[in-house]
This record gives sequence, C-alpha cells and structure tokens, in this order.
Amino acid sequence: MAQVLDMAAILETRNLSKSFGALAAVQDVSLAIEAGGLHSIIGPNGAGKTTLFNLLTGSFPPTSGRILLDQQDVTGTPAHRIAHLGLSRSFQRTNVFPAFSLLQNVWIAAFATGRSWNGLLFRNTDQYPEANEQARQALRDVGLIDKQNHLAREISHGEQRQLELAIALAARPRVLLLDEPAAGLSPEETRRMVALVRSLKGRYTIVLIEHKMDIIMSVSDRISVMHFGRLIAEGAPAEIQRNPEVRRAYLGGVAA
Amino acid sequence: MRAFFLILISICVLPLIVRPVIATEIWIFAIFGLGLNLLLGYTGLLSFGQSTFFGSAAYVAGWLLKHYGINVFIALGIGVGVGALSALVVGYLCVQRSGLYFIMLTFALNQLFYFVAYQWTSVTGGEDGMQGVPRPEFLGLDFKDPLVYYVFVSVLFLASLWLMKRIVESPLGRILQAIRENEVRAGAVGYHVPRFKLLAFVIGGAFSGVAGVLYAMLFGIVPLEAIGFVFSGNVVFATLIGGSGSLYGPIIGSFVFIWLSESMSVVWARWPLLLGVAFVIVVLFLRGGVVEAWHRFWTWRRSSKPAT
Repeated sequence: MAQVLDMAAILETRNLSKSFGALAAVQDVSLAIEAGGLHSIIGPNGAGKTTLFNLLTGSFPPTSGRILLDQQDVTGTPAHRIAHLGLSRSFQRTNVFPAFSLLQNVWIAAFATGRSWNGLLFRNTDQYPEANEQARQALRDVGLIDKQNHLAREISHGEQRQLELAIALAARPRVLLLDEPAAGLSPEETRRMVALVRSLKGRYTIVLIEHKMDIIMSVSDRISVMHFGRLIAEGAPAEIQRNPEVRRAYLGGVAA
Repeated sequence: MRAFFLILISICVLPLIVRPVIATEIWIFAIFGLGLNLLLGYTGLLSFGQSTFFGSAAYVAGWLLKHYGINVFIALGIGVGVGALSALVVGYLCVQRSGLYFIMLTFALNQLFYFVAYQWTSVTGGEDGMQGVPRPEFLGLDFKDPLVYYVFVSVLFLASLWLMKRIVESPLGRILQAIRENEVRAGAVGYHVPRFKLLAFVIGGAFSGVAGVLYAMLFGIVPLEAIGFVFSGNVVFATLIGGSGSLYGPIIGSFVFIWLSESMSVVWARWPLLLGVAFVIVVLFLRGGVVEAWHRFWTWRRSSKPAT
C-alpha cells in the first residue's frame, strides 16, 4: 500500500507486523494518525485491532516494522516508558485498581507522568497538589467527581468504563488510545460514552477501536479498516460506508 | 493516633508482664514483620526468604561486634547496609518471575544462604551459631542491663514504625499497592514494575537487617536458625495472623507469635499445634487477621446496639 506520509502525523506505523507462531495477527500495517483528529480503527473480531494497540503501547515488540511518535522511532519501547512519551490507553476489558478509591485510581496515573517524583519515599500523597488536581480534573471530565471516594470495585460496570477512560486521561496524554470504550454498555450508557468521547475531541489526538458502527460513523474524522491483520481501506466515514470491500468484510453487505 | 498510644502503653506495660528478654524480642520481631509486610501486604509479594536478610545482617554485624569492637550504632548501620544489599541481590533475581516461581526463588535463595552459613563454620560457627556477640556500652548507656536494652529497642521500633508509616503513605506506598491490585495497569500508566518491587525488597531488607542485628545483640548469639527457612516462615506466619492488610498487623502478629511461643513452649511441648489451628482459622475465615477480627467486632457492637 503506497501512501504519502503526512508531516502532521503525530503517530505512525510503517509496515508493522506481529506474528504469534503461525498466526500473523498484524501484517504490514502502515498507519498515519493526524494530530488533533479522531481516527477510528474498525474490523471484525480477531482482525488484529487490539494487537495493534498492544504494539503501539509496547506490551510486546513487533516482529517487524517501525512505530514513530513525533517522527521519533519508538519501536520496542517498553510499556512503562510509553506513558511518559505521551501515549496513554484504555483497555477493552476493565482494568482498574479494584480496592482503590476512584480518586486513587486516577491519581496513580497522574502521578506517574507528573513533573516531579520528589519525596517519592516519604512525602504524603496528599501533598502533591498538581497530581491531585490533575486526578480530579480527569474524574470531572468523565463525570465521576461526585463518586471520587467510592471504591472502584463498588461502582457499576458503566461507571467502571468511565473510570477506565479517566485513568487514561489523567496522564494528560498527547495521544489517547481507546480500546472499545463502550464494550458491554447498555444503549443509554453507550449514548453517554459517545457524548464523552465527543467532548474529548480536539483536546486530544484520539485513536478509537470500536465495534458499534453508529459511534464510529458519528464521531470519526478518519477510519481505517482491518481485516485478518491487514489494513484493507482508509478514508472519511462516508467513503468507508460506500467502500464495497469494507461492506463485504465487515458490514456483511448490510446497508448502514 | 489511638494506635500510637496503644503501642506506647504496650511498650510500658509489656516488661511488667513478661521477662524483659521476651518483651524485647517482641519488638524486634515486629520490626522484622514491618519489613516483610511492605512486600506481603502492600506489594502482594509472598517472600519466603526474609531470614536471608535478617541472618546476613546478624552475622556480619555480629562478627564485627565480636572481633572489632564496633559500637552499637555502627552495628545497626551495618545491619541496614547488609540487609539492603542482600535484598538487592536476592530481590533482583526474584522479581524477574512472578507467582509460585517467585515464592520458590525467595525460598531457594534463602536455602543457599543457609548452607553457606552452615558450611562456613570458621566465621558463622555453623550449627553452634556465632557465639559471644557482645552488647557494648555506648555513651554511658549500659546495654547489658536488659531494661536499658529494652528501652533502646523500643525506641528503635517506634522509629521504624514511624518510618514505615511515612513510606506506606508516600507515593511509593501507593504505587506498591497499585502493583498489588493490578500489575499490568500499573505498568501501563508508567511504572517500571520490577524496579518498584526491587525497591520494596531493599527497604524490607533494611528493616530485616536492623531486626537481625538487634536480635544477635539480644541473645549474644546468631543461631543458625536465624538464617533458616523456619525463621522466614515464622515472620510470614506472624504477619498473616496479625493481619497483612494493615500497617499494625505485623506488630500484633509478633506479639501473639512470640508471646505464645515463649509462654506455651514451657507448658506444652506441642504448642505449635495451637499456631497451626490459629493459622487455619485466619486463612479460612479471617483473611485480614487479628486486625480484621477487631474491626468486625466493633462493627458488630455498633450495629447490635438498639437505634435510638
């Protein structure tokens, strides 16, 4: 797939591949994520979307290919370093700190990427005004500030999905990778999540994996379609909806 | 604050109830437990090798006390150093693995240290232990007086407790708990998980080292058991009975464990049976140990009072 790599791309992959034994989960994927936009990645189950996210966030290194953040090669950077480079993700399966309060959940992410770790071993956690404010702001952004002292394991599934997003936000990333934020949500909760994602548009560069077509078509600036580990199409939502190959692979011929 | 006063009162009352040696041992064991609990309760790492750090520090400081006549404070400083350094080496190897393999590694490395101590008789005294560790006088303080030494240990215990409280309430304490709660997410938000586990090891090792040196000076001997796996097990045991979920759990555990073992062993040779029963009860019904029992009792008291 020949393509002109946009200079405004904040995050790029070049011929990125990942194999697990004989299974080629991601094959030769070249993507350019434009700064400030919302770029969705869609595809049937098992298309390799989450593997792509895992590669981008350093959960494991790619088999071949490169990842560039701000034109800098970050291929093979381990997960715990990636967050410090301004890339932050939410997980498809809720992945929070169950025995922590909501505020502590986001605080831990805010502190990680905070400006200073002075007093790491002896200063009380209350005495980090910047991290505390950043944490509260993340909870405000997702509408959970009223429950900041509740424990994460005691809130509803929908709220846990919001918290999942808040943890990713608390790091104040430049690029936000959202892995199916609406997974397992009721229609009402989904509507709220869509409004939430839309409210974040413009403030962050967002890469979104999602199954629910209504979400994708209404919020995306650009869409990339994956199928069996490969990119089969890329374009604006309207173009993707018209693309016959995409309809065959993903929409199953159903008119959206 | 209430906990602090309770501890202060216990420190004052304890030597009136039990022999000063036993009272001293309780607070030493509590320091040991505080160090383990940073790993066990806060980071969620079950280390079955804490006596490695306890024993190494006791041997090194004991040797220097015996042959070079160093003073008590230098001995303690060396205890901190040896405890931390041995924990750095052991911890570095152990944090590479998790779960059962982690536990087995802590245990195996402990055995390694044990056999070195066992074989190296010219230094450690082997099975006879390193005998004749002195408790030298310092700045007019006669540490040979059991009560003076008791007060000294109590002060060090309070200092250790204060230090540990600071640590667990610091960002480090919260990061370690985050690792316990969800290791993957802790890594994803930007923490180098193995490095933080290692830090917990080193701090825990330093506490163990202090306890080891105090122990050697208390009994005037470093017994071979001080670096053995039973000793490692005992501190885990005591901490679990006291309650690993709380800062004060290991202190209560130490009290229960030492007091039971000293008072019961005289009366009944099969006393460990009691500990076994206590352990089973804790594991089955009271995961938070004595501390949880205490909380449950008070919630029950409050709820059973008629509403007015």
